[in-house]
Amino acid sequence: MAFAAESAGPVLQCQSVERRFGGIVALNGIDMQIERGEIFGLVGPNGCGKTTLTNAITGFYPPQRGRILLNGRDITGLAPHYIATLGVARTFQNLALFNGMSVLDNILLGRHIHMKPGVARTALYWWLARPDETVNRAAVEDVIDFLQLEGVRDELVDGIPIGLKKRVELARALAAEPSFLILDEPMAGMNQEEKEYMARFILDARDERGVTVLLIEHHMDVITGICDRMLALNYGAMIGSGIPADVVADPRVVEAYIGGAHAAR
Amino acid sequence: MLFRQAGIFHTNYAADRALFPIAADRWMIGILLAFGFAAPLLVNSLYLSSYLLPWLIWTAGALGLNLILGWAGQFHLGYAAVMGIGAYATVHATRAGIPWEIAIVLGGSTAAIIGIGFAFAALRVKGLYLALSTLALQFVMDWVISHVPAISGGTQATLQAPDIRLLGQPITSDAGLYYVALVWCILVTSFMLNLRRTALGRALIAVREKDFAAAVIGVNSFYFKLVAFSTSSFIGGVTGAILIGTFYHAVTPEQFSVDVSIQALAMVIVGGLGSIIGSYFGAAFILLMPGAMNSLISWAAIRFGFSLSIETLAHLPQALYGALIIGFLLIEPLGLGKIYNNVRDYLLVWPFGYVKK
Repeated sequence: MAFAAESAGPVLQCQSVERRFGGIVALNGIDMQIERGEIFGLVGPNGCGKTTLTNAITGFYPPQRGRILLNGRDITGLAPHYIATLGVARTFQNLALFNGMSVLDNILLGRHIHMKPGVARTALYWWLARPDETVNRAAVEDVIDFLQLEGVRDELVDGIPIGLKKRVELARALAAEPSFLILDEPMAGMNQEEKEYMARFILDARDERGVTVLLIEHHMDVITGICDRMLALNYGAMIGSGIPADVVADPRVVEAYIGGAHAAR
Repeated sequence: MLFRQAGIFHTNYAADRALFPIAADRWMIGILLAFGFAAPLLVNSLYLSSYLLPWLIWTAGALGLNLILGWAGQFHLGYAAVMGIGAYATVHATRAGIPWEIAIVLGGSTAAIIGIGFAFAALRVKGLYLALSTLALQFVMDWVISHVPAISGGTQATLQAPDIRLLGQPITSDAGLYYVALVWCILVTSFMLNLRRTALGRALIAVREKDFAAAVIGVNSFYFKLVAFSTSSFIGGVTGAILIGTFYHAVTPEQFSVDVSIQALAMVIVGGLGSIIGSYFGAAFILLMPGAMNSLISWAAIRFGFSLSIETLAHLPQALYGALIIGFLLIEPLGLGKIYNNVRDYLLVWPFGYVKK
């Protein structure tokens, strides 16, 4: 990789992670290891557990069995906001921007874990908060520059097109300077050009900002194009993992995606 | 219009986060502040102490409620109770000989502590359930205040509030009391303005908009809801104390009953959720409207020669006032603040309406 690793060892390890909702086994013994500086693809048909796995890692649905380690530290069962402070950032499949705020304020919120919000600081802004706000404002400008969002900086997020919204959400995630970034279908609903832009941003984020990426996608061209390794899920179980070109060619993966008749050929 | 300008161009980040980047806004604020401080010389003392003074105090109160309702998005139907706690605590503290400056801080802190204790229980539920449990705070406080003689001074009692003393000097003149209210209102307003551009304000809005997305960027929703509850209770408590000290001069439980809570809520909703200037408009609207309606109806009765029974006269303003609130919610849910902003945004670039800000 193009950058120096902060510390040795994998960024994320999932060890036989299991999550049930009532009688439904959403995740069944997932073992996954993501190395530092990797772009790791996660694919599978709808409802196979991709988002559940994401929610297990970020603490929204802690696994009932198994362990999740971040940079070697056990984060199983920790609260989502605490996991965020440990350097995990994510974007959502169905956008989760804060409406009524500008693009700038949304990205500034991404800096939350680096700031010290408080009542006294707010009341005495001129003396206590201004330096902190200014430093973080500058850091946000870096991200705006990186993702080419200068033109919409002061727009309300409610009114910008979906392709840009996805980019703002990526910006908010990157603003936190995470070590591990989870992108949940960042290219859903995008055209070819927007997809190519987004793929470039993801590669650049890895190379320039040293982020390890877990990428959930349905576009196989993107997965084979930018991912180093990948994992395919079906009905909550792992059906293939390894180099994207091999996994995508695996008959079981093809069957899960487009049905048995094609797999037979 | 005065607003017109070619654009806003910053050269550093501190200027980008300035409160009023538009020069015309700075002029307007400056003129309003100058008028605010010169008001005792310009306005006769009846208007000063019966219109401007309660307007400023209620604006501060509405801003405090707006913090919890408009920023953090948590319903609060017991705001008058919080104000009452602050008022009673301050009156008792001054009667016990504590200087007034310290007593109002004590009053605010008492309100904040009771508010936070209550919030610990109430914040386990959301939305309408939270609204109902805050209503419970209102009724519990009403009951406790009126049934504990040590607080209320006995059933149906009115507790005389000692004169306000600042640095040992008693403040009794209309102008002096007005300045106390003005300074408090300016302090609360500047806090709320700063809330718009600090991490705390953004975190509260994140909690209001999407709590799961807030969690994912590291915002602890429960903690920030508690912060919002306690800060808003502090502002409410001090406002209650100042309302008693400068306007009512005596405290009774009825001054902080449930209809006062509803009135405060109406101020925030009519003024605009999350709008600072809206709280000023909302407080003015709710305070002036019943009186204005009364005079309008009596004027119309004389002008058009119809006669109304005393009872109809008494109830008509209430009905119209209710209808106006419903009208606001239907037509402009973001209130008077939003209407002001629309007009301002239009004038900002007039006559080139197609230009972006």
